[in-house]
Amino acid sequence: MKINLFKVYKTGLASLIVIIGLSFLNVSVAEEKKDTKGDFARGAKAWVDNCVRCHNVRDPKELRDDQWITTTFHMRIRAGLTGQQTRDIIKFLQTSN
Amino acid sequence: MNIKLTSLACFVGLAISSNTMAQTEIEKLRSEVDTLNKKAQEWEAYQTIKQKIEKDVSLLNDKAREWEEWKAPKTLVHLAGFADVGYTDRQDQTGSFNFGGFSPIFHYQFADQFMLEAELEFEITEGGKSTASIGYLTIDWFVNDYMALVAGKFLSPLGQFRQNIHPSWINKLASAPTGFGHDQAAPNADVGFMARGGYLMESNNSMNYALYIANGPTLEADGSEIDMIETPGLGKDGDGSKTVGGRFGMFFPASKFEFGVSLATGNVSVRSGTAGNYSYDASRSYDVVGTDFNWRPGSFDVRGEFIQQEYGAQSTSAAPDSGKWAAWYVQAAYRFSGTNWEAVARIGEYDTPTNSKDVEQVTVGANYLFATNLVGKMSYEFNDNPNAGLTAANRVLVQLAYGF
Repeated sequence: MKINLFKVYKTGLASLIVIIGLSFLNVSVAEEKKDTKGDFARGAKAWVDNCVRCHNVRDPKELRDDQWITTTFHMRIRAGLTGQQTRDIIKFLQTSN
Repeated sequence: MNIKLTSLACFVGLAISSNTMAQTEIEKLRSEVDTLNKKAQEWEAYQTIKQKIEKDVSLLNDKAREWEEWKAPKTLVHLAGFADVGYTDRQDQTGSFNFGGFSPIFHYQFADQFMLEAELEFEITEGGKSTASIGYLTIDWFVNDYMALVAGKFLSPLGQFRQNIHPSWINKLASAPTGFGHDQAAPNADVGFMARGGYLMESNNSMNYALYIANGPTLEADGSEIDMIETPGLGKDGDGSKTVGGRFGMFFPASKFEFGVSLATGNVSVRSGTAGNYSYDASRSYDVVGTDFNWRPGSFDVRGEFIQQEYGAQSTSAAPDSGKWAAWYVQAAYRFSGTNWEAVARIGEYDTPTNSKDVEQVTVGANYLFATNLVGKMSYEFNDNPNAGLTAANRVLVQLAYGF
């Protein structure tokens, strides 16, 4: 199998860095809308959309409330969640526990 | 005389009257004493109940404080991980029970700012010895809502399988896709520094990214040919040039479809010698390209991935030629509605610089979900190597995987 994608990969990598950099231009604006307590409804949606990308969905009652905090922060790294999605999912899981 | 009698009568009358009054007074006092006794008893009962209530309230306060501590302490500790046991029967070998692995994951979190994550990997060799290694160990700093900085040994962010799908309770088949095992086409881990996070777009779809700089891999040669690329997360950069790369993923056009692109570039060199006394030849180019997707229409779970690692030529090396490892797979799983049963099928291919190691693979399987994190799997692998005439490498794999 001959792949010619390498001819453009450096351009692609540079584009990736630029796209990510540009995406942070909105960070300061979005920070003002930060909901530090999390939102149950948003959390339920984020939980459904993100967790099942890789694994079977876990029952909120499987872990204690404090364990859901570390688990969700671990998943923030693994799944590329935003901080707000993380807080929303924790709110959903702890409320449903 | 009359006066005397009258006085006597008055005296007697007074005495009788006085006695009657005294008896009334006594009755009154007795009644008051009774009342006071009753009140004293009531007071004692009240005190007893009050003390009991105070004790209960104190106990509840302690419990509430304890609960609050569990809910939101400054430092949190959590043990997660996964393990699996099973049985493997390859066509040309005797079937054996096996212990796939035990991988505890430690999480130590400080507030919502830092987290230390470490995964240990315990395995049993064919000879019965136990081995232990560090799958990853990172300290993560959650800088803001959109970025975390990760330093240490991390699972390669290139592609999906190695970083997210490899735990046995997540992988829907009892084996990794061909080419996605350790030191094959998909990079396994690296040691360095990474920025990763996500971003929610106006359309409410999200994107995620990971960018890293790390020591990169090393090559192993067998005579004049490159035999293997090692990506276990090396503690030394032998080629003198760091590898940079990353993955960009986006949910598009819907939240149930994710598409990802992975790219990396750097240098790599051939390592020789023994541990503690390694030497490295002249470096050569090293490039990785990959793409992946996952899609969840209804009860289906469909995913696929392509990854390729390529090294350039180096005329001064004992193994001068360029080469590449490439692998791909597409997998579909279907969860039968109202049951705990799941059917899975996967097709994949692994191309290496050495034709005799190439594999074409088809795997089918049936899973029973005892719980969402406790899965019994039975898989059958059809392995074919047309370049080496390999015709008896099919395998039956039975596995019980538990994620905790």
